[in-house]
Amino acid sequence: MKLLLAEDDAILADALSASLRKAGFEVEVAANGAVAEYLLLRQNFDLGVLDLGLPLVDGLTVLKRVRAARPTMPMMVLTALDGLDDRVAGLNAGADDYLTKPFDFPELEARIRALLRRTRIGGGPVQQMGRLSFDRDARRAAIGSDVVELSPREWMLLDRLLAQRDKVVTKDQIAESWAVDRSESNPGSIEVYIHRLRRKLDGSGLAIRTVRGLGYLLESET
Amino acid sequence: MLSPFKRALRRVPGLTPGTRSLHRHLLLWLLLPQLVLWLAAAFVTYNVAERHANKAIDASLTTATRALARQVKPIGNGLFIDFPRAAQDIIEADPDDRVYYMVSTPPGQFILGNKQLPAPPPIANPKLGEPYFYDGTMGERAKPISVRVAALYLSYGEEGRPQRMLVQIARSRASREQLAGQILIDTALPLSALMVLMSMIVWAGIRAGLAPLSRMRALVEDRAPNDLAPIELEAAPQEVRALAKAINSLLAEVQESVSSQKRFISDAAHQLRTPLAGLKSQTELALNETSDPALKTRLQRVNESATRSAHLVNQLLTLARAEPESATEQGRARFDLRKLAAEVSAEMVPRARSAGIDLGFDGDDDASAVTVMGHAFLLREALINLIDNALRYAGRGSVVTVRVAPKDAQAIVEVEDNGPGLAEADRERVLQRFVRATHEGNGCGLGLAIVKEIVGRHAGAVMLEATQPRGLRAVIRLPRAA
Repeated sequence: MKLLLAEDDAILADALSASLRKAGFEVEVAANGAVAEYLLLRQNFDLGVLDLGLPLVDGLTVLKRVRAARPTMPMMVLTALDGLDDRVAGLNAGADDYLTKPFDFPELEARIRALLRRTRIGGGPVQQMGRLSFDRDARRAAIGSDVVELSPREWMLLDRLLAQRDKVVTKDQIAESWAVDRSESNPGSIEVYIHRLRRKLDGSGLAIRTVRGLGYLLESET
Repeated sequence: MLSPFKRALRRVPGLTPGTRSLHRHLLLWLLLPQLVLWLAAAFVTYNVAERHANKAIDASLTTATRALARQVKPIGNGLFIDFPRAAQDIIEADPDDRVYYMVSTPPGQFILGNKQLPAPPPIANPKLGEPYFYDGTMGERAKPISVRVAALYLSYGEEGRPQRMLVQIARSRASREQLAGQILIDTALPLSALMVLMSMIVWAGIRAGLAPLSRMRALVEDRAPNDLAPIELEAAPQEVRALAKAINSLLAEVQESVSSQKRFISDAAHQLRTPLAGLKSQTELALNETSDPALKTRLQRVNESATRSAHLVNQLLTLARAEPESATEQGRARFDLRKLAAEVSAEMVPRARSAGIDLGFDGDDDASAVTVMGHAFLLREALINLIDNALRYAGRGSVVTVRVAPKDAQAIVEVEDNGPGLAEADRERVLQRFVRATHEGNGCGLGLAIVKEIVGRHAGAVMLEATQPRGLRAVIRLPRAA
């Protein structure tokens, strides 16, 4: 996985590139906007991490130009500006995600991975969590080597929970993702599906937690 | 610049309003001349009335004198006076308006009448047959009667040996003064009524004239201390408009200075973020790379400190944004507070879980919307801060519940925990900036101040209550939008 990190603060760039390399990414650092633009347009990066306050060419301009040339390349913006207007400007310029400095590195890593997952054409590879492997291409879920049989609604539910792992999936979001599916005539309540899915995830090391009044959340059993 | 003349005028006491009410000042300056005029008019009227009364009395005295003189007929060397008793009685009849008479042949020979009549002023060579008038007193010394006297010199006797006769008739001045007084009253009464009416009109005029000033005062008085928007006066007279304009330009300057200061704080806070991010990232990296437990502890502290600084910077920026100068009425919209609170709660769940706290939302899935009008992004910050506070201080294993409900014309948000709670004395205090009730945790003392600021901007209120058996409930009340 090859990333471009455009950051003019040498200390931050140094720490971030080291941490990202440790996390398994191949990282190229650009210290100004002009270099960042040149590299992003000339080389094949899987993702760009851009600071907005770059020298020579500012981050927003780089973002717009790269977005024009590479519409599908995921772009993550790091910035010291977090006003509503700044956020809107960043997203309008084509940023896929927005992270305000200072941040925790695990947060950045999680966001980068989520962005890569989300923007990968064709649904992405097999997602592994705990003992569960979730193959979106083959539409196959397994715990260890045991295949887990899932109904279409259960599949969509687990897909959603996995995509937003450790975060709350609201009942509205579940109902929304089910709205396209008409295969099950008498679907029953969300609670019934959660109950069934919990049983099927037994032994996977994953747990679906109920969050009072809000929805559900998938996390590793501890 | 003031001319020396104007400056001199200013020093005259009472000429300028000074600290007196403008109403009173104007009233004084309009009514004082009126009073002077009224007094002058009364004085002049009285004098004119008295003169006319004198004239009338003098005329009647003349007639009476001549009539009396006619009754005195010279016979040879003597005088024959044909003055019947009845006529005397009639003349002296009215006790209120006494008429006294005296006939004499000067020097000093009394013939007839009342001897007490005051003598005429000495005249060297008085004209004969022309009445003279003068004022005098007569009667007992204890009770003198003021009288008007007509004196008529006549001659009688034979050719070559003329003799003079003096006929005097006096009339008490009482009637004359009464007449003048009556005339004065008759003139002064309508004049006074006119003056009262005039004063009322002047008062009404002053009030109406100064009304724009009162309106302006109300406009200035009613505003919040941090509201620096220009004063808008419709249909105000030129002078008041000029004053409003002057105030407005001052307000604009203050606004400019305030916002440039705010900009500086905001810029400074933003500038701090990148180095803080560098510090944090380096520390995290170092923490990852070392296996020395002592070093790890130290680095952990550095990291905590960096995190705390970052939090402070963020809170400062949020506070700056929450202040009214930074955001205008623009961006206000109607939105569902329940939905916003549910969203925020959901976002905070991962943090709650890692802190070992059960964060939940109390509400039916299909409860109706609780609509409010305002800046959603600011109220979001307020909610984040309230929940963040509960997560920070309620402690591991506690339960935090967020609740939104409409109540009458209000929308009520509650964030309740069953943590250690807060002493009553602290509940009001912690809403102030940089006031913390505890030294535990990484808080910076701005969270609740931010909540208060934001809620205040939405015409709402925030308060902290104790819950039973233990815990704290933060309550936000906001006006509901129709």
